[in-house]
Amino acid sequence: MKIAVAGKGGVGKTTVSGTVARALARSGHTVLALDGDLNPMLGVSLGVGGEQTELIVAARQAVAAGEEEHAPTIEEIVKRFGADAPDGVRMVIASRVEFMDPGCMCCGVNPVNLVRQLEHGERTVVCDLEAGIGTIERIETGVVDVLLVVANPTGKSLEVARRAIEIADGITEIVVVANRVAGDSDLELMREVLGDRELFVIPEDAVIAAADREGLAPIDLDPDSPGVAALVRLAERVAGAPVAA
Amino acid sequence: MPDAAGDALVPLRIAVAGKGGSGKSVLSGTMARLIARRGGRVLALDSDLLPGLSMSLGSGPDPAEAPLWGATQKKPDGRGYMWGEGMHAALAAQRFALDAPDGVRLLLRGKQRPEGFGAVIGASQTFWEVVHGLVDAPEFRDWTLIGDLPAGQYQVADDWAPYARIYLVVVQPTMQSALTGRRILRVARMRAPEARHLVIANRVRDEDDVRHVEKLVGEPAFASLPVDEDVAAAATIFAETVKRLRDAGGAFV
Ligand SMILES: Nc1ncnc2c1ncn2[C@@H]1O[C@H](COP(=O)(O)OP(=O)(O)OP(=O)(O)O)[C@@H](O)[C@H]1O
Ligand SMILES: Nc1ncnc2c1ncn2[C@@H]1O[C@H](COP(=O)(O)OP(=O)(O)OP(=O)(O)O)[C@@H](O)[C@H]1O
Ligand SMILES: [Mg+2]
Ligand SMILES: [Mg+2]
Repeated sequence: MKIAVAGKGGVGKTTVSGTVARALARSGHTVLALDGDLNPMLGVSLGVGGEQTELIVAARQAVAAGEEEHAPTIEEIVKRFGADAPDGVRMVIASRVEFMDPGCMCCGVNPVNLVRQLEHGERTVVCDLEAGIGTIERIETGVVDVLLVVANPTGKSLEVARRAIEIADGITEIVVVANRVAGDSDLELMREVLGDRELFVIPEDAVIAAADREGLAPIDLDPDSPGVAALVRLAERVAGAPVAA
Repeated sequence: MPDAAGDALVPLRIAVAGKGGSGKSVLSGTMARLIARRGGRVLALDSDLLPGLSMSLGSGPDPAEAPLWGATQKKPDGRGYMWGEGMHAALAAQRFALDAPDGVRLLLRGKQRPEGFGAVIGASQTFWEVVHGLVDAPEFRDWTLIGDLPAGQYQVADDWAPYARIYLVVVQPTMQSALTGRRILRVARMRAPEARHLVIANRVRDEDDVRHVEKLVGEPAFASLPVDEDVAAAATIFAETVKRLRDAGGAFV
Protein backbone atom coordinates (compact mmCIF):
# COMPACT_ATOMS: atom_id res chain seq x y z
CA MET A 1 0.00 0.00 0.00
CA LYS A 2 1.21 3.52 -0.76
CA ILE A 3 0.18 6.44 1.43
CA ALA A 4 1.05 10.09 0.78
CA VAL A 5 0.60 12.95 3.22
CA ALA A 6 -0.12 16.50 2.03
CA GLY A 7 -1.22 19.87 3.36
CA LYS A 8 -0.22 23.47 3.97
CA GLY A 9 3.13 24.20 5.62
CA GLY A 10 3.19 23.50 9.35
CA VAL A 11 -0.14 21.67 9.62
CA GLY A 12 1.39 18.45 10.93
CA LYS A 13 2.32 16.42 7.82
CA THR A 14 5.60 15.22 9.30
CA THR A 15 3.99 14.39 12.64
CA VAL A 16 1.27 12.38 10.89
CA SER A 17 3.68 10.64 8.48
CA GLY A 18 6.19 9.63 11.14
CA THR A 19 3.65 8.45 13.68
CA VAL A 20 1.48 6.57 11.19
CA ALA A 21 4.62 4.89 9.79
CA ARG A 22 5.69 3.78 13.27
CA ALA A 23 2.21 2.54 14.18
CA LEU A 24 1.96 0.51 10.97
CA ALA A 25 5.39 -1.01 11.59
CA ARG A 26 4.36 -1.99 15.12
CA SER A 27 1.43 -3.92 13.74
CA GLY A 28 3.63 -5.92 11.41
CA HIS A 29 3.77 -3.88 8.20
CA THR A 30 7.08 -3.60 6.38
CA VAL A 31 7.28 0.17 6.21
CA LEU A 32 9.27 2.43 3.94
CA ALA A 33 9.04 6.07 5.08
CA LEU A 34 9.90 8.39 2.21
CA ASP A 35 10.75 12.01 3.02
CA GLY A 36 9.62 14.08 0.04
CA ASP A 37 10.32 17.47 1.60
CA LEU A 38 13.19 19.64 0.33
CA ASN A 39 13.89 20.35 4.00
CA PRO A 40 13.72 16.76 5.27
CA MET A 41 12.52 16.33 8.84
CA LEU A 42 10.80 12.96 8.84
CA GLY A 43 13.65 11.41 10.83
CA VAL A 44 12.66 13.56 13.80
CA SER A 45 9.05 12.38 14.03
CA LEU A 46 10.11 8.79 13.25
CA GLY A 47 12.34 8.91 16.30
CA VAL A 48 15.87 8.63 14.92
CA GLY A 49 16.78 11.90 16.68
CA GLY A 50 18.04 15.24 15.42
CA GLU A 51 21.72 14.33 15.09
CA GLN A 52 20.99 11.08 13.26
CA THR A 53 18.56 12.90 10.95
CA GLU A 54 21.36 15.29 10.00
CA LEU A 55 23.72 12.40 9.28
CA ILE A 56 21.15 10.80 7.00
CA VAL A 57 20.62 14.12 5.23
CA ALA A 58 24.38 14.52 4.84
CA ALA A 59 24.67 11.03 3.35
CA ARG A 60 21.97 11.84 0.80
CA GLN A 61 23.85 15.05 0.12
CA ALA A 62 27.02 13.13 -0.72
CA VAL A 63 25.77 12.74 -4.29
CA ALA A 64 27.12 16.27 -4.65
CA ALA A 65 30.66 15.04 -4.18
CA GLY A 66 30.49 13.62 -7.69
CA GLU A 67 31.24 10.03 -6.79
CA GLU A 68 27.66 8.95 -7.35
CA GLU A 69 26.07 8.34 -10.68
CA HIS A 70 23.07 10.45 -11.56
CA ALA A 71 19.49 9.33 -12.16
CA PRO A 72 19.46 6.34 -9.82
CA THR A 73 16.29 4.30 -9.54
CA ILE A 74 14.24 4.46 -6.38
CA GLU A 75 15.42 1.00 -5.37
CA GLU A 76 19.02 2.20 -5.65
CA ILE A 77 18.25 5.27 -3.59
CA VAL A 78 16.58 3.11 -0.96
CA LYS A 79 19.53 0.72 -0.87
CA ARG A 80 22.27 3.35 -0.83
CA PHE A 81 20.74 6.09 1.23
CA GLY A 82 18.17 4.26 3.33
CA ALA A 83 18.49 4.34 7.10
CA ASP A 84 16.89 2.40 9.91
CA ALA A 85 14.34 3.96 12.20
CA PRO A 86 12.74 2.34 15.27
CA ASP A 87 10.24 -0.54 14.94
CA GLY A 88 12.00 -1.64 11.75
CA VAL A 89 10.90 1.32 9.63
CA ARG A 90 13.21 1.92 6.68
CA MET A 91 13.61 5.60 5.98
CA VAL A 92 14.83 7.38 2.84
CA ILE A 93 15.18 10.99 1.74
CA ALA A 94 14.00 11.77 -1.79
CA SER A 95 15.88 14.96 -2.63
CA ARG A 96 19.29 16.37 -2.12
CA VAL A 97 19.16 19.35 0.15
CA GLU A 98 21.88 21.78 -0.85
CA PHE A 99 23.12 22.96 -4.21
CA MET A 100 20.77 20.87 -6.27
CA ASP A 101 21.18 20.64 -9.99
CA PRO A 102 17.61 21.36 -11.01
CA GLY A 103 17.92 19.49 -14.30
CA CYS A 104 19.09 16.33 -12.58
CA MET A 105 16.86 13.45 -11.58
CA CYS A 106 18.70 12.61 -8.39
CA CYS A 107 18.96 16.20 -7.19
CA GLY A 108 15.65 17.97 -7.45
CA VAL A 109 13.82 14.68 -7.33
CA ASN A 110 10.07 14.81 -7.54
CA PRO A 111 9.00 12.43 -4.76
CA VAL A 112 5.87 11.52 -6.70
CA ASN A 113 8.10 10.01 -9.39
CA LEU A 114 9.77 7.91 -6.74
CA VAL A 115 6.48 6.76 -5.28
CA ARG A 116 5.32 5.89 -8.79
CA GLN A 117 8.37 3.69 -9.34
CA LEU A 118 7.97 1.81 -6.07
CA GLU A 119 6.55 -1.66 -6.45
CA HIS A 120 3.55 -2.31 -4.28
CA GLY A 121 4.78 -5.70 -3.15
CA GLU A 122 4.50 -6.41 0.54
CA ARG A 123 5.80 -3.00 1.46
CA THR A 124 3.79 -0.16 2.93
CA VAL A 125 5.07 3.22 1.77
CA VAL A 126 4.40 6.41 3.72
CA CYS A 127 5.48 9.59 1.91
CA ASP A 128 5.71 12.98 3.63
CA LEU A 129 5.19 15.45 0.78
CA GLU A 130 6.35 19.02 0.40
CA ALA A 131 4.00 21.71 1.71
CA GLY A 132 1.34 22.98 -0.66
CA ILE A 133 -0.35 21.42 -3.65
CA GLY A 134 2.53 21.46 -6.14
CA THR A 135 3.41 17.80 -5.76
CA ILE A 136 -0.08 16.34 -5.62
CA GLU A 137 -0.84 17.86 -8.97
CA ARG A 138 1.48 15.17 -10.35
CA ILE A 139 -0.27 12.23 -8.74
CA GLU A 140 -2.16 10.17 -11.30
CA THR A 141 -4.42 7.19 -10.78
CA GLY A 142 -2.61 4.25 -9.21
CA VAL A 143 0.40 6.19 -7.88
CA VAL A 144 -0.87 6.26 -4.30
CA ASP A 145 -3.65 4.27 -2.67
CA VAL A 146 -4.48 6.80 0.03
CA LEU A 147 -3.83 10.51 0.27
CA LEU A 148 -3.95 11.95 3.78
CA VAL A 149 -4.86 15.62 3.48
CA VAL A 150 -3.90 17.30 6.74
CA ALA A 151 -5.55 20.56 7.82
CA ASN A 152 -5.77 22.69 10.94
CA PRO A 153 -8.74 24.81 11.98
CA THR A 154 -7.30 27.86 10.22
CA GLY A 155 -8.63 29.53 7.09
CA LYS A 156 -5.46 29.19 5.04
CA SER A 157 -4.78 25.55 5.78
CA LEU A 158 -8.42 24.69 5.02
CA GLU A 159 -8.17 26.50 1.71
CA VAL A 160 -5.09 24.45 0.79
CA ALA A 161 -6.88 21.27 1.90
CA ARG A 162 -9.93 22.13 -0.18
CA ARG A 163 -7.74 22.61 -3.26
CA ALA A 164 -5.87 19.38 -2.55
CA ILE A 165 -9.13 17.45 -2.30
CA GLU A 166 -10.36 19.01 -5.52
CA ILE A 167 -7.20 17.93 -7.34
CA ALA A 168 -7.01 14.39 -5.95
CA ASP A 169 -10.72 13.58 -5.96
CA GLY A 170 -11.40 10.54 -8.10
CA ILE A 171 -7.66 9.87 -8.49
CA THR A 172 -7.06 8.30 -5.11
CA GLU A 173 -8.85 7.60 -1.84
CA ILE A 174 -8.67 10.69 0.35
CA VAL A 175 -8.76 10.83 4.13
CA VAL A 176 -8.99 14.32 5.57
CA VAL A 177 -7.05 14.62 8.81
CA ALA A 178 -8.37 17.41 11.03
CA ASN A 179 -5.28 18.07 13.13
CA ARG A 180 -4.91 20.27 16.22
CA VAL A 181 -8.62 20.34 16.94
CA ALA A 182 -9.19 21.94 20.34
CA GLY A 183 -13.00 22.01 20.48
CA ASP A 184 -16.32 21.80 18.72
CA SER A 185 -16.05 25.25 17.19
CA ASP A 186 -12.81 24.13 15.47
CA LEU A 187 -14.62 21.16 13.97
CA GLU A 188 -17.54 23.30 12.86
CA LEU A 189 -15.19 25.68 11.07
CA MET A 190 -13.54 22.77 9.30
CA ARG A 191 -16.89 21.24 8.27
CA GLU A 192 -18.00 24.61 6.95
CA VAL A 193 -15.11 24.73 4.50
CA LEU A 194 -14.75 21.04 3.69
CA GLY A 195 -18.41 20.08 3.55
CA ASP A 196 -19.74 16.74 4.73
CA ARG A 197 -16.57 14.77 4.09
CA GLU A 198 -15.45 12.43 6.86
CA LEU A 199 -12.91 14.21 9.05
CA PHE A 200 -10.44 12.09 10.99
CA VAL A 201 -9.87 14.16 14.11
CA ILE A 202 -6.49 14.46 15.86
CA PRO A 203 -6.80 16.62 18.97
CA GLU A 204 -4.39 19.35 19.98
CA ASP A 205 -1.92 17.52 22.19
CA ALA A 206 0.82 18.97 24.38
CA VAL A 207 2.75 15.69 24.09
CA ILE A 208 3.11 16.18 20.32
CA ALA A 209 4.37 19.74 20.79
CA ALA A 210 6.75 18.62 23.55
CA ALA A 211 8.08 15.85 21.31
CA ASP A 212 9.12 18.36 18.64
CA ARG A 213 10.72 20.54 21.27
CA GLU A 214 12.96 17.66 22.36
CA GLY A 215 13.33 16.05 18.95
CA LEU A 216 11.60 12.82 19.95
CA ALA A 217 8.97 10.75 18.16
CA PRO A 218 5.56 11.48 19.69
CA ILE A 219 4.91 7.73 19.82
CA ASP A 220 8.05 7.27 21.95
CA LEU A 221 7.21 10.13 24.30
CA ASP A 222 3.71 8.86 25.13
CA PRO A 223 1.79 6.45 22.87
CA ASP A 224 -1.34 6.85 25.02
CA SER A 225 -1.71 10.61 24.86
CA PRO A 226 -4.91 11.62 23.03
CA GLY A 227 -3.22 12.97 19.91
CA VAL A 228 -0.84 10.04 19.49
CA ALA A 229 -3.60 7.49 20.20
CA ALA A 230 -5.71 9.16 17.50
CA LEU A 231 -2.81 8.90 15.04
CA VAL A 232 -2.49 5.20 15.83
CA ARG A 233 -6.23 4.81 15.07
CA LEU A 234 -5.64 6.72 11.83
CA ALA A 235 -3.04 4.13 10.88
CA GLU A 236 -5.64 1.40 11.56
CA ARG A 237 -8.20 3.18 9.48
CA VAL A 238 -5.78 3.52 6.58
CA ALA A 239 -4.54 -0.07 6.82
CA GLY A 240 -8.10 -1.31 7.20
CA ALA A 241 -7.04 -3.43 10.16
CA PRO A 242 -6.25 -3.01 13.87
CA VAL A 243 -2.82 -1.63 14.67
CA ALA A 244 -1.15 -2.33 17.99
CA ALA A 245 0.33 0.78 19.63
CA MET B 1 9.55 55.13 18.43
CA PRO B 2 12.11 53.66 20.79
CA ASP B 3 15.46 55.31 20.42
CA ALA B 4 17.10 51.93 20.44
CA ALA B 5 16.92 51.74 16.65
CA GLY B 6 19.94 53.99 16.67
CA ASP B 7 21.50 55.85 13.79
CA ALA B 8 19.53 54.95 10.70
CA LEU B 9 22.11 56.26 8.28
CA VAL B 10 24.24 53.12 8.13
CA PRO B 11 22.63 50.96 5.46
CA LEU B 12 22.30 47.29 6.29
CA ARG B 13 22.14 44.32 3.95
CA ILE B 14 20.08 41.62 5.63
CA ALA B 15 18.56 38.30 4.60
CA VAL B 16 16.11 36.64 6.99
CA ALA B 17 15.74 32.87 6.81
CA GLY B 18 14.33 30.02 8.88
CA LYS B 19 11.84 27.17 8.96
CA GLY B 20 8.27 27.72 7.84
CA GLY B 21 6.37 29.72 10.44
CA SER B 22 9.46 30.57 12.48
CA GLY B 23 8.75 34.31 12.32
CA LYS B 24 10.77 35.43 9.27
CA SER B 25 8.14 37.82 7.96
CA VAL B 26 7.36 39.37 11.34
CA LEU B 27 11.07 40.03 11.90
CA SER B 28 11.73 41.35 8.37
CA GLY B 29 8.64 43.52 8.26
CA THR B 30 9.15 45.02 11.69
CA MET B 31 12.82 45.76 11.15
CA ALA B 32 12.06 47.40 7.81
CA ARG B 33 9.46 49.67 9.42
CA LEU B 34 11.70 50.59 12.35
CA ILE B 35 14.65 51.51 10.17
CA ALA B 36 12.41 53.54 7.88
CA ARG B 37 10.95 55.43 10.85
CA ARG B 38 14.44 56.43 11.84
CA GLY B 39 14.90 57.95 8.41
CA GLY B 40 16.67 55.11 6.66
CA ARG B 41 15.75 54.27 3.09
CA VAL B 42 14.54 50.70 3.06
CA LEU B 43 13.84 48.28 0.25
CA ALA B 44 12.09 45.15 1.51
CA LEU B 45 12.64 42.18 -0.80
CA ASP B 46 9.90 39.56 -0.66
CA SER B 47 11.27 36.47 -2.37
CA ASP B 48 8.56 34.13 -1.07
CA LEU B 49 5.90 32.80 -3.46
CA LEU B 50 3.59 32.55 -0.45
CA PRO B 51 2.06 35.57 1.24
CA GLY B 52 3.54 36.95 4.45
CA LEU B 53 5.74 40.03 4.27
CA SER B 54 3.10 42.49 3.08
CA MET B 55 0.97 41.50 6.06
CA SER B 56 3.70 42.11 8.60
CA LEU B 57 4.70 45.34 6.84
CA GLY B 58 1.07 46.40 6.95
CA SER B 59 1.04 47.25 3.26
CA GLY B 60 -2.22 45.49 2.44
CA PRO B 61 -2.85 42.48 0.24
CA ASP B 62 -0.37 41.52 -2.47
CA PRO B 63 -1.35 42.37 -6.03
CA ALA B 64 -2.53 39.31 -7.93
CA GLU B 65 -0.18 40.03 -10.80
CA ALA B 66 3.53 40.37 -9.96
CA PRO B 67 4.58 43.99 -10.67
CA LEU B 68 7.96 42.84 -12.05
CA TRP B 69 6.21 41.46 -15.11
CA GLY B 70 6.36 45.13 -16.12
CA ALA B 71 10.17 44.89 -16.32
CA THR B 72 10.10 41.60 -18.19
CA GLN B 73 9.61 40.51 -21.76
CA LYS B 74 9.67 37.21 -23.60
CA LYS B 75 12.84 36.42 -25.50
CA PRO B 76 12.48 36.84 -29.27
CA ASP B 77 12.57 33.07 -29.80
CA GLY B 78 9.75 32.74 -27.26
CA ARG B 79 11.84 30.58 -24.95
CA GLY B 80 12.29 32.20 -21.58
CA TYR B 81 12.40 35.82 -20.47
CA MET B 82 14.69 38.83 -20.49
CA TRP B 83 14.75 42.45 -19.39
CA GLY B 84 12.07 44.70 -20.83
CA GLU B 85 13.16 47.52 -23.12
CA GLY B 86 15.77 49.75 -21.41
CA MET B 87 15.32 47.94 -18.07
CA HIS B 88 17.99 47.15 -15.53
CA ALA B 89 18.06 46.13 -11.89
CA ALA B 90 18.01 49.53 -10.19
CA LEU B 91 15.42 50.94 -12.54
CA ALA B 92 13.18 47.91 -12.11
CA ALA B 93 13.45 48.21 -8.31
CA GLN B 94 12.70 51.94 -8.43
CA ARG B 95 9.77 51.59 -10.76
CA PHE B 96 8.12 48.39 -9.60
CA ALA B 97 8.57 48.42 -5.83
CA LEU B 98 5.31 49.16 -3.99
CA ASP B 99 4.82 51.74 -1.27
CA ALA B 100 4.52 50.34 2.24
CA PRO B 101 3.95 52.29 5.50
CA ASP B 102 6.70 54.55 6.90
CA GLY B 103 8.12 54.99 3.42
CA VAL B 104 9.35 51.41 3.10
CA ARG B 105 9.46 50.21 -0.50
CA LEU B 106 8.46 46.61 -1.15
CA LEU B 107 9.66 44.61 -4.13
CA LEU B 108 7.80 41.36 -4.76
CA ARG B 109 9.04 38.31 -6.57
CA GLY B 110 5.40 37.48 -7.21
CA LYS B 111 2.88 35.25 -5.50
CA GLN B 112 1.77 31.74 -6.28
CA ARG B 113 -1.26 31.72 -8.55
CA PRO B 114 -3.93 29.06 -8.96
CA GLU B 115 -2.72 28.55 -12.55
CA GLY B 116 0.64 27.36 -11.23
CA PHE B 117 4.25 28.56 -11.29
CA GLY B 118 4.08 29.46 -14.98
CA ALA B 119 2.05 32.53 -14.05
CA VAL B 120 4.97 34.06 -12.10
CA ILE B 121 8.04 32.53 -13.71
CA GLY B 122 9.07 35.58 -15.79
CA ALA B 123 8.64 38.01 -12.89
CA SER B 124 10.41 35.55 -10.64
CA GLN B 125 13.44 35.40 -12.96
CA THR B 126 13.49 39.19 -13.15
CA PHE B 127 13.43 39.39 -9.36
CA TRP B 128 16.51 37.15 -9.30
CA GLU B 129 18.24 39.48 -11.77
CA VAL B 130 17.22 42.52 -9.71
CA VAL B 131 18.62 41.25 -6.41
CA HIS B 132 21.87 40.42 -8.17
CA GLY B 133 22.01 43.78 -9.90
CA LEU B 134 21.33 45.67 -6.67
CA VAL B 135 24.49 44.39 -4.98
CA ASP B 136 26.61 47.08 -6.63
CA ALA B 137 23.95 49.48 -7.92
CA PRO B 138 25.02 53.06 -7.06
CA GLU B 139 21.34 54.08 -6.89
CA PHE B 140 20.88 51.83 -3.85
CA ARG B 141 24.21 52.35 -2.14
CA ASP B 142 22.53 54.19 0.75
CA TRP B 143 19.61 51.83 1.04
CA THR B 144 19.00 49.18 3.61
CA LEU B 145 17.98 45.94 1.91
CA ILE B 146 15.98 43.41 3.90
CA GLY B 147 15.12 40.11 2.25
CA ASP B 148 12.39 37.83 3.59
CA LEU B 149 13.32 34.40 2.21
CA PRO B 150 10.94 31.45 1.88
CA ALA B 151 10.96 28.61 4.37
CA GLY B 152 13.99 26.33 4.38
CA GLN B 153 17.50 26.51 3.00
CA TYR B 154 17.06 26.26 -0.75
CA GLN B 155 17.08 29.98 -1.63
CA VAL B 156 20.25 30.51 0.34
CA ALA B 157 21.81 27.61 -1.56
CA ASP B 158 20.55 28.93 -4.90
CA ASP B 159 21.93 32.44 -4.29
CA TRP B 160 18.71 34.42 -3.99
CA ALA B 161 20.20 36.87 -1.47
CA PRO B 162 23.59 37.87 -2.94
CA TYR B 163 23.30 41.28 -1.24
CA ALA B 164 23.27 39.79 2.27
CA ARG B 165 26.07 40.89 4.57
CA ILE B 166 24.05 39.68 7.54
CA TYR B 167 22.01 36.49 7.66
CA LEU B 168 19.43 36.42 10.41
CA VAL B 169 18.41 32.83 11.01
CA VAL B 170 15.17 32.66 12.97
CA VAL B 171 14.80 29.64 15.23
CA GLN B 172 12.04 28.59 17.60
CA PRO B 173 12.74 26.27 20.52
CA THR B 174 11.95 23.05 18.61
CA MET B 175 14.17 20.43 17.02
CA GLN B 176 12.80 20.87 13.50
CA SER B 177 13.24 24.62 13.66
CA ALA B 178 16.79 24.23 14.97
CA LEU B 179 17.79 21.65 12.35
CA THR B 180 16.50 23.98 9.65
CA GLY B 181 18.52 26.78 11.22
CA ARG B 182 21.65 24.63 11.17
CA ARG B 183 21.14 23.73 7.53
CA ILE B 184 20.68 27.40 6.62
CA LEU B 185 23.75 28.45 8.61
CA ARG B 186 25.85 25.77 6.94
CA VAL B 187 24.76 26.73 3.43
CA ALA B 188 24.99 30.48 4.10
CA ARG B 189 28.54 30.10 5.44
CA MET B 190 29.53 28.22 2.30
CA ARG B 191 27.77 30.72 0.07
CA ALA B 192 28.93 33.89 1.85
CA PRO B 193 31.75 33.15 4.29
CA GLU B 194 32.51 36.83 4.88
CA ALA B 195 28.94 37.70 5.93
CA ARG B 196 27.69 37.56 9.50
CA HIS B 197 25.46 34.61 10.32
CA LEU B 198 23.35 35.21 13.39
CA VAL B 199 20.78 33.14 15.23
CA ILE B 200 17.63 34.90 16.39
CA ALA B 201 15.69 32.85 18.94
CA ASN B 202 11.99 33.53 18.44
CA ARG B 203 8.88 32.80 20.51
CA VAL B 204 10.87 32.09 23.63
CA ARG B 205 8.96 32.09 26.91
CA ASP B 206 11.96 32.31 29.20
CA GLU B 207 15.72 32.05 29.49
CA ASP B 208 15.38 28.25 29.41
CA ASP B 209 13.91 28.45 25.92
CA VAL B 210 16.83 30.59 24.74
CA ARG B 211 19.28 28.04 26.17
CA HIS B 212 17.28 25.28 24.47
CA VAL B 213 17.58 27.03 21.09
CA GLU B 214 21.31 27.51 21.65
CA LYS B 215 21.77 23.88 22.61
CA LEU B 216 19.85 22.56 19.59
CA VAL B 217 21.52 24.90 17.09
CA GLY B 218 24.92 24.59 18.69
CA GLU B 219 25.73 28.28 18.78
CA PRO B 220 24.74 31.35 20.79
CA ALA B 221 21.65 33.39 19.97
CA PHE B 222 22.47 36.92 18.87
CA ALA B 223 19.09 38.14 20.10
CA SER B 224 15.86 36.63 21.31
CA LEU B 225 12.25 37.63 20.84
CA PRO B 226 9.62 36.63 23.38
CA VAL B 227 6.32 34.96 22.66
CA ASP B 228 4.41 38.15 22.44
CA GLU B 229 0.87 39.12 21.54
CA ASP B 230 1.82 42.71 22.17
CA VAL B 231 3.22 44.21 18.99
CA ALA B 232 4.61 47.28 20.76
CA ALA B 233 6.62 45.21 23.20
CA ALA B 234 7.92 43.07 20.37
CA ALA B 235 8.86 46.19 18.44
CA THR B 236 11.04 47.38 21.31
CA ILE B 237 12.97 44.14 21.20
CA PHE B 238 13.23 44.31 17.43
CA ALA B 239 14.54 47.86 17.79
CA GLU B 240 17.17 46.65 20.22
CA THR B 241 18.20 44.03 17.67
CA VAL B 242 18.49 46.65 14.95
CA LYS B 243 20.67 48.79 17.20
CA ARG B 244 22.98 45.91 17.99
CA LEU B 245 23.25 45.07 14.29
CA ARG B 246 24.27 48.66 13.65
CA ASP B 247 26.78 48.66 16.49
CA ALA B 248 28.31 45.56 14.97
CA GLY B 249 27.47 46.59 11.46
CA GLY B 250 29.83 49.25 10.15
CA ALA B 251 32.23 46.69 8.80
CA PHE B 252 29.57 44.59 7.19
CA VAL B 253 27.80 46.99 4.87
N1 LIG C 1 -2.00 17.51 17.22
C1 LIG C 1 -0.99 18.35 17.54
N2 LIG C 1 -0.95 18.91 18.77
C2 LIG C 1 0.05 19.76 19.11
N3 LIG C 1 1.06 20.09 18.30
C3 LIG C 1 1.08 19.57 17.07
C4 LIG C 1 0.06 18.67 16.62
N4 LIG C 1 0.37 18.31 15.34
C5 LIG C 1 1.51 18.96 15.02
N5 LIG C 1 1.93 19.72 16.05
C6 LIG C 1 3.15 20.57 16.07
O1 LIG C 1 3.05 21.48 14.99
C7 LIG C 1 4.33 21.71 14.43
C8 LIG C 1 4.29 21.42 12.93
O2 LIG C 1 4.07 20.03 12.74
P1 LIG C 1 4.83 19.26 11.57
O3 LIG C 1 6.26 19.56 11.59
O4 LIG C 1 4.40 17.85 11.64
O5 LIG C 1 4.13 19.99 10.34
P2 LIG C 1 4.50 19.92 8.78
O6 LIG C 1 3.20 20.02 8.09
O7 LIG C 1 5.32 18.73 8.51
O8 LIG C 1 5.34 21.25 8.61
P3 LIG C 1 6.27 21.67 7.34
O9 LIG C 1 5.32 22.09 6.28
O10 LIG C 1 7.08 22.79 7.88
O11 LIG C 1 7.07 20.47 6.96
C9 LIG C 1 5.31 20.83 15.20
O12 LIG C 1 5.94 21.61 16.19
C10 LIG C 1 4.42 19.79 15.82
O13 LIG C 1 4.96 19.30 17.03
N1 LIG D 1 7.58 36.45 18.85
C1 LIG D 1 6.35 36.09 18.48
N2 LIG D 1 5.35 36.02 19.40
C2 LIG D 1 4.11 35.64 19.04
N3 LIG D 1 3.74 35.30 17.80
C3 LIG D 1 4.69 35.33 16.84
C4 LIG D 1 6.03 35.73 17.12
N4 LIG D 1 6.75 35.65 15.97
C5 LIG D 1 5.88 35.24 15.02
N5 LIG D 1 4.66 35.05 15.53
C6 LIG D 1 3.47 34.57 14.80
O1 LIG D 1 3.78 33.33 14.16
C7 LIG D 1 3.18 33.25 12.89
C8 LIG D 1 4.26 33.01 11.84
O2 LIG D 1 5.06 34.17 11.74
P1 LIG D 1 5.63 34.66 10.32
O3 LIG D 1 4.53 34.72 9.33
O4 LIG D 1 6.46 35.84 10.55
O5 LIG D 1 6.55 33.40 10.02
P2 LIG D 1 7.32 33.06 8.68
O6 LIG D 1 8.59 32.41 9.11
O7 LIG D 1 7.42 34.24 7.81
O8 LIG D 1 6.33 31.98 8.06
P3 LIG D 1 6.27 31.44 6.54
O9 LIG D 1 7.29 30.35 6.47
O10 LIG D 1 4.87 30.92 6.45
O11 LIG D 1 6.58 32.59 5.64
C9 LIG D 1 2.43 34.55 12.68
O12 LIG D 1 1.08 34.34 13.01
C10 LIG D 1 3.09 35.51 13.66
O13 LIG D 1 2.22 36.52 14.09
MG1 LIG E 1 7.19 18.63 7.59
MG1 LIG F 1 6.80 34.53 5.80
